[in-house]
Amino acid sequence: MSSLIFALKTPPAQRIDCSLLTPNLLADKKITDIAAIELYTGNKAVRVDSLFDITGDDAADIKFTNSSDKLDFVGRNMTTGKITITGNVGAYLGLFLEGGQIEVTGNTGIYTACEMKSGQIKINGNAGEFVGGARPGYKNGMTGGIVIVTGNTADRTGDHMRRGMILIEGNAGDYCAARMVSGTIAVLGNVGEHLGFGMKRGTVLLTQTPTQGIPANFNDNGPHTLAFLALMFNSFRKLDSQFAKTESFTRVQRYSGDLGGIGMGEILVKI
Amino acid sequence: MIINGVTIDATFAEAFPMKGTRLIITAMNAKWAMISAQAFTGFATSVIACGCEAGIEKLLDESETPDGRPGVSILIFAMGGKGLAKQVETRSGQCVLTSPTSALFSGLDNPDKEIALGQNLRYFGDGFQISKMIDGKRYWRIPVMDGEFLTQEKTGVHDSVGGGNFLVLAESQAQALAACEAAIEEMRKLPNIIMPFPGGVVRSGSKVGSKFKALNASTNDAFCPTLKGQTKSELSPEVESVMEIVIDGLTKEDIDKAMRVGIQAICDLGAENGIRRISAGNYGGKLGPFHFHLQEIMA
Repeated sequence: MSSLIFALKTPPAQRIDCSLLTPNLLADKKITDIAAIELYTGNKAVRVDSLFDITGDDAADIKFTNSSDKLDFVGRNMTTGKITITGNVGAYLGLFLEGGQIEVTGNTGIYTACEMKSGQIKINGNAGEFVGGARPGYKNGMTGGIVIVTGNTADRTGDHMRRGMILIEGNAGDYCAARMVSGTIAVLGNVGEHLGFGMKRGTVLLTQTPTQGIPANFNDNGPHTLAFLALMFNSFRKLDSQFAKTESFTRVQRYSGDLGGIGMGEILVKI
Repeated sequence: MIINGVTIDATFAEAFPMKGTRLIITAMNAKWAMISAQAFTGFATSVIACGCEAGIEKLLDESETPDGRPGVSILIFAMGGKGLAKQVETRSGQCVLTSPTSALFSGLDNPDKEIALGQNLRYFGDGFQISKMIDGKRYWRIPVMDGEFLTQEKTGVHDSVGGGNFLVLAESQAQALAACEAAIEEMRKLPNIIMPFPGGVVRSGSKVGSKFKALNASTNDAFCPTLKGQTKSELSPEVESVMEIVIDGLTKEDIDKAMRVGIQAICDLGAENGIRRISAGNYGGKLGPFHFHLQEIMA
């Protein structure tokens, strides 16, 4: 069996809802059946084979090639298997992801890993706003799984995040961990302004002090040796990420906040 | 059967089902991990009055523990899951949470059957406790005066075997003790077992039942040397002292192996060191369903 490949024929004029093209939904389907599936693009439903050249037959290993940032909802509700996207991808990548792996060679749009429950998403590029966040009007962002971003994330990374891990090898934008409820965000690079704004619980792990300093709504709890960090770094070792190679440390400066709320969140900065 | 002049009785040891778990205690150094482990496993020799049987399985170096610090692996057994959960929780709370620099982890995964480890201890944090999910397991970080107490939320329960045993019959008390010490030294090298009594040795082996209604166990008079002329004794005139080694293990096979290693160590000392016989606590099938036939084990 070979990977089931969807090669985009031409750059789409309208956004395409790709939520029907997941390993769990395509399992045991014939190529002719897959070709006849209708996807919404703009206000029209069009056949898959009018948008993509389809080759291969292994629905557990789906590849999108010649991808575009207009492909939305890739991997929505996915429970198993793997999706690899060559190029950029649109909004809501991995929405409600329950299992399996998604890997992107380019950049992603807004709401990547939105309300993700489990599994792993790796972005070998930059991610848009609201990585791991909640849909507008909803209060729980991702509740499990791991998101790895080798580049930078835009603003409001981990907004309303509830559980799971977001590992950012580059920089994070403004309002990182804003309204975060729990979980872990680790950043190897810099973070923008208003870090942890409205943060309730959870952990932001930084390898360097942000250039603009720690926000005023966080209090310094002093330097500490925290044993759980050793376990966390051990869990990184199996990941295909810079975090796997990062030297483990347990000595951190601990800040707690947002003191405008319940103040149970923490920013840990390597010392 | 005779090995090196030591008679192996044609009898069997009776053991019973227990529920067990393995815990790993770590600390800043091996000394404090051991102090905590000794406190945890204190007063845990017999379920008859202690509520559980517990002991130190082995020392762990930094590469063998979840947090990369020196540690101690302990096993704890009780007659049921509820009893085990109660003992684990109270002992963890009083002996590990309180011990400087300690952390506490499960050493036994069994997703099908788990009991609380730090699940309720977290409330000691008075709302300041922090949960962390790492690799699918939940941990609790509880702020304490020396820093932070880290504990895994749950530990797995394993269907185990308690009460494996053998008796060492010697010409003198000193020779019986020396033989038992030699056996314990070898048995402690094995995984998945503990010898819960002081130093691994019991001098007050018991039989099932008593003439006193309040007691369900009493002295094993058939093996008490001072009663040779007073009761239906199992002892020959030259036997002056009997000691017992009791073994709890995660599986019957673990106990089989431990008994073989222990008895062999004693037989290596042989009759020339005053060891006359190896026997076992056989209660006519009244104590438990697991039977360890000495001669089969040593065959």
